[in-house]
Amino acid sequence: MDNAKIAAYVDSTAAMLGLPLPPERAARVVAHLQRTAAMAALLDTAPLAPHDEPAEIYSPAAFLPLNDGRSQL
Amino acid sequence: MKIIAFDAAAMATAVAAGEVSARELVDASLASIAVTNGQVNAFTETTQDRARAEADAVDAQRARGEVLGPLAGVPYAVKNLFEIKGLTTLAGSKVNQGLPAASADAMLITQMKTAGAVLVGALNMDEYAYGFTTENTHYGPCHNPHDLSRVAGGSSGGSGAAVAAGQVPVTLGSDTNGSIRVPSSLCGIWGLKPTFGRLSRRGTYPFVHSLDHLGPMASSLAGLGLAYDALQQPDPLDPGCHALRVQPVSPSLHRGTAGLRIGVLGGYFHDNAGPEARAAVALAGRTLDAQSDVTWPDAALARAAAFIITASEGGSLHLGDLRTRADDFEPLSVDRFIAGALQPVDWYLRAQRFRRVYRDKVNTLFQDWDVLLTPATPVSATVIGTEWLDINGVRQPCRAAMGLLTQPISFAGCPVVTAPMWPAGTGGLPIGVQIIAAPWREDLAFRVAQVLGDAGIAHVQPVTL
Repeated sequence: MDNAKIAAYVDSTAAMLGLPLPPERAARVVAHLQRTAAMAALLDTAPLAPHDEPAEIYSPAAFLPLNDGRSQL
Repeated sequence: MKIIAFDAAAMATAVAAGEVSARELVDASLASIAVTNGQVNAFTETTQDRARAEADAVDAQRARGEVLGPLAGVPYAVKNLFEIKGLTTLAGSKVNQGLPAASADAMLITQMKTAGAVLVGALNMDEYAYGFTTENTHYGPCHNPHDLSRVAGGSSGGSGAAVAAGQVPVTLGSDTNGSIRVPSSLCGIWGLKPTFGRLSRRGTYPFVHSLDHLGPMASSLAGLGLAYDALQQPDPLDPGCHALRVQPVSPSLHRGTAGLRIGVLGGYFHDNAGPEARAAVALAGRTLDAQSDVTWPDAALARAAAFIITASEGGSLHLGDLRTRADDFEPLSVDRFIAGALQPVDWYLRAQRFRRVYRDKVNTLFQDWDVLLTPATPVSATVIGTEWLDINGVRQPCRAAMGLLTQPISFAGCPVVTAPMWPAGTGGLPIGVQIIAAPWREDLAFRVAQVLGDAGIAHVQPVTL
């Protein structure tokens, strides 16, 4: 991706997040993001279907075993 | 004190038999740290009073005729992201120096104490675990005991160097993308990254919640197994702890490899390994009569996804401090943290969705194989300060490239024992071989590791400092 576009993205996203970014640091961050963008482009080639869910860890509560009393309510 | 082998299993046996006291062992360990730490910079703090009190408690237990724990009197130390009651948890940072002292020990330290082990201190690491070399600007670089001009690996570099330097026979580390396996490889010691979700992470400073593992490192495979068995305990309070019961590996350690289907990974893992790393895994493969050139699915994609998730979660975790005091962060990683915090959310979500598809492919692979082998690092330890690495003609950023061979494996969550091997052409430096098993089958990786140890090709080499 075009370096200037990434630089503009870095500036505006950092501003949105309230993250001060001096120009020298911003330039280094752009270089890192440029490399990550190449990895993201690679990952874009992996076929994913709508039903492929994220692998995040989330559980609303510990699983309740049967006969936990609730069925008697 | 009688000479006891530098091995947790031998030490615990000797303490139980009354051949040596826990106090003698801890004093020897503290003396060794005092003599050699100036050279290796593995320890950032020692816990001398606590260590002597814990050792004395073990000796008193024996004097009363009580049954001792499996690690009775064994000195150990932990990466300084583990909470130690009364100490501030630095996690390799300057920022955390302002935090209050921990009010309790990490869950795994409690497990070690219950087993009779004796905590002697906290160990150097890359800041917030974001690195593979432990070139820590705040606390100084960790030096490889086999060549002090070289890195010890990271991010659990102190955990690797302390064992290799003969300071303690067991350490605990963390591994998000390779941070136990890389220093184990570069320091020439045994290391275990267990299955994701096997060991509780409660009471440790996080790096990437989706990927963080904890595990032991040791001077002997038997010691590694004893420590791992002692660390196991289901923990419903860690949302990432999925294990529901303890499954010890020590009882089956010597069961051999008859009937096991063993392969050496090719493709991505061959392409990203230097000639010495290839030689090390080839020797392991020949010793085990393994089939060569097994294809691991989507390794490059997995590394990309792991990289993106790491940057995003790590960056977000530290965003508050990055806003107000970025100059207090490690210069080698602060820009990566910031870049990670700014990543488009689509990259992150796509990586998390890919991870589930990837998991299914890896688990399918293990229907045909029991254990798979690949080097842990592309090369042996590099000189401190090295910026670029040439791997088979491809120029790579050195600090990131050290994790090329570990990242795809931990992203799947498979357990890995790293076996220390000593290929020719490295000037006497080690390279570890990853012994990879299907999720929850640490026992198989240990059995294969034992065969490599019995064959005399995987072992720890003592150093004189």
